[in-house]
Amino acid sequence: MNLKNLLARILDVDPGVINDGSSPENLENWDSFNGLLIASELEKESGVKFSIEDVIHVKNVGDIKKILDRYNIKYDF
Amino acid sequence: MLELTLSDYIIKAKKIESNFGKSIKLAILSSFTVNGLKEVLTVKCGEIKVSAEIYVAGYNQYRQELLDDNSNLYKFKPEIVYLLLDTRSILSELFFLPYQVNHQSRKKYISQQLKEIFSLVDGFTKKSDSKLVVTNLSLPTYSPLGIADEKVEFSLNDAVTYFNDGIKSRYLADDQVFVYDFNSFANRFGENNIFDPKMYYLGDIKISPDYLPYLVENFVSYVKVALSLNRKCIVLDLDNTLWGGIVGEDGFDGIQLSPQPPGNVYYEFQKYLLALFQKGIILAINSKNNEADAMKVIRDHPYMILRPDNFAAFRINWQDKVKNMEEIAQELNIGLDSLVYFDDDPINREMIKKYLPEVKVIDLPRDPSLYVRSLQSLNDFDTFQVTMEDQKRGKMYIDERQRREFQSEFSNLDDFLKSLNIKVTIKPGDSFTTPRISQLTLKTNQFNLTTRRYTEEDIKKFIGSDDHLVYSVQVEDKFGDQGIVGVIIINCEKEWQIDTFLLSCRVIGRNIEKVMLDFIINVAKKKQAKRIIGQYVATEKNKPCVGLYQDNGFQKNEDGLFVFDLLNNFFGPDYIKLID
Repeated sequence: MNLKNLLARILDVDPGVINDGSSPENLENWDSFNGLLIASELEKESGVKFSIEDVIHVKNVGDIKKILDRYNIKYDF
Repeated sequence: MLELTLSDYIIKAKKIESNFGKSIKLAILSSFTVNGLKEVLTVKCGEIKVSAEIYVAGYNQYRQELLDDNSNLYKFKPEIVYLLLDTRSILSELFFLPYQVNHQSRKKYISQQLKEIFSLVDGFTKKSDSKLVVTNLSLPTYSPLGIADEKVEFSLNDAVTYFNDGIKSRYLADDQVFVYDFNSFANRFGENNIFDPKMYYLGDIKISPDYLPYLVENFVSYVKVALSLNRKCIVLDLDNTLWGGIVGEDGFDGIQLSPQPPGNVYYEFQKYLLALFQKGIILAINSKNNEADAMKVIRDHPYMILRPDNFAAFRINWQDKVKNMEEIAQELNIGLDSLVYFDDDPINREMIKKYLPEVKVIDLPRDPSLYVRSLQSLNDFDTFQVTMEDQKRGKMYIDERQRREFQSEFSNLDDFLKSLNIKVTIKPGDSFTTPRISQLTLKTNQFNLTTRRYTEEDIKKFIGSDDHLVYSVQVEDKFGDQGIVGVIIINCEKEWQIDTFLLSCRVIGRNIEKVMLDFIINVAKKKQAKRIIGQYVATEKNKPCVGLYQDNGFQKNEDGLFVFDLLNNFFGPDYIKLID
């Protein structure tokens, strides 16, 4: 799984603009619904179910990476 | 059928072509978050070549939108409105604490909720001509009483059932409001799948994004019916489709077809097809086979469910299936875009897809035990109402096949027509025949003098007015009843003008039109009219009726209209019996 591509697809941006600091503050399409969609698609890609806490605490792409690492989910970036 | 993810749909929706041949305006109202629904609907309408313009009301704004005459909903002028309700929102506290009150209070509460929905819906139908699709509620799967829930009077489940029954019976005969059975949708996929607690707590999402596309697939049924994009006929292969094995090799006794495995998959698949036949879907066969072998099975096999009388056309031969398919459409006088094709052989399927893209080809799964499911997942055979005509249609096409076989015994058309014992019944339109009359004005292309399309609402207005006369024309003969196959609408506001004169292609060529003219002329004479004015509005398809008026004593005037002077007489064919 390529995380950048997955995010870019959902947020409708060029993968090149995505970095660890990307967040709802600096990406217009990252609203609360798309945040949930990101969680849902990552779950489907990895087969892992995140907790509600995991999802609430994501503030930016860096946080997503930390969660993926915590669950030992392999990904490219 | 496997669905794409919601984000795939969202991306596709952005890239979709915006100008298909047909278009429709849809609106979505809901009691919970339905982000993404619009995008899936856009894409799925695009797949059937329909440009959908979609309005989505704000989160949980359905009451305001429905009540306010000036709301964006009404300004948008939708053609179909979907109102999505959910059990939690409607039941409110009762959902969580159903048993803190007694059963009378539960009933009282749910009755009030029902009443509120009724008044919203009834208010809507006063303000708008749009169709309204309202979902029912999914039954709760949990009770704090556990296994004792079935021992309580008017339980939580009963309350939801009460709501669902109430909304169904209120709109049972309504031609504007339709209840979508959301409970059945929830059953099909299961609450544990469609309801994702995390999504619900974080975003009030009550249908998980993965399952939204399946719901939309069902919603598109209404679009297909509204735009007459539904299909009429299932064309079937035989070997390994209607029975297991190959009759030419395995023989009459060797094919798999019986109530026991492995023949039961085919045996039951045929039962599902028969049920569709009984609701009016035409069945036909397109198979590479020795005709005698195959017909022997269809006629004599003890476990064949579908018999010769269930098929409107047979093409059992060794010529190519594309040619057969074209011939079937021609013989039944329906478009290729009315056909759905079932064949286990992927090569045959590819051929049809390539050469006849209008035909919907079903990619049958390799495992025949899944045939039924693939049939069930189709949304091409829907109608808004179950009309008598629809139910009889399958049978009528078989009568037609027998009529054709009978005609070949005559060398002269008049002799043939005389021997048919045709009876034509012409009656003023009423609430019972209105849906069919509207359906004919919407669908008839060939023998249609003016091709004016009228909704049921339009027809109702005509019937209720003083200046229009609406008649339905029903035809039967020795082979069977063909139902209502013609419509006459007269505008007698100032003069006697034939606004609409049409005949279904099923009965063209039997002089029914002469009987209809005879009828109009007689009624006009009785009402002391001086003349009748007819009009022919040419379209791409209505050549078959170009000469109707000239051939029957009407004179063309300088405005291009056709005039019949009622001082003249007109005689319809004497071998057709007119009943009015």
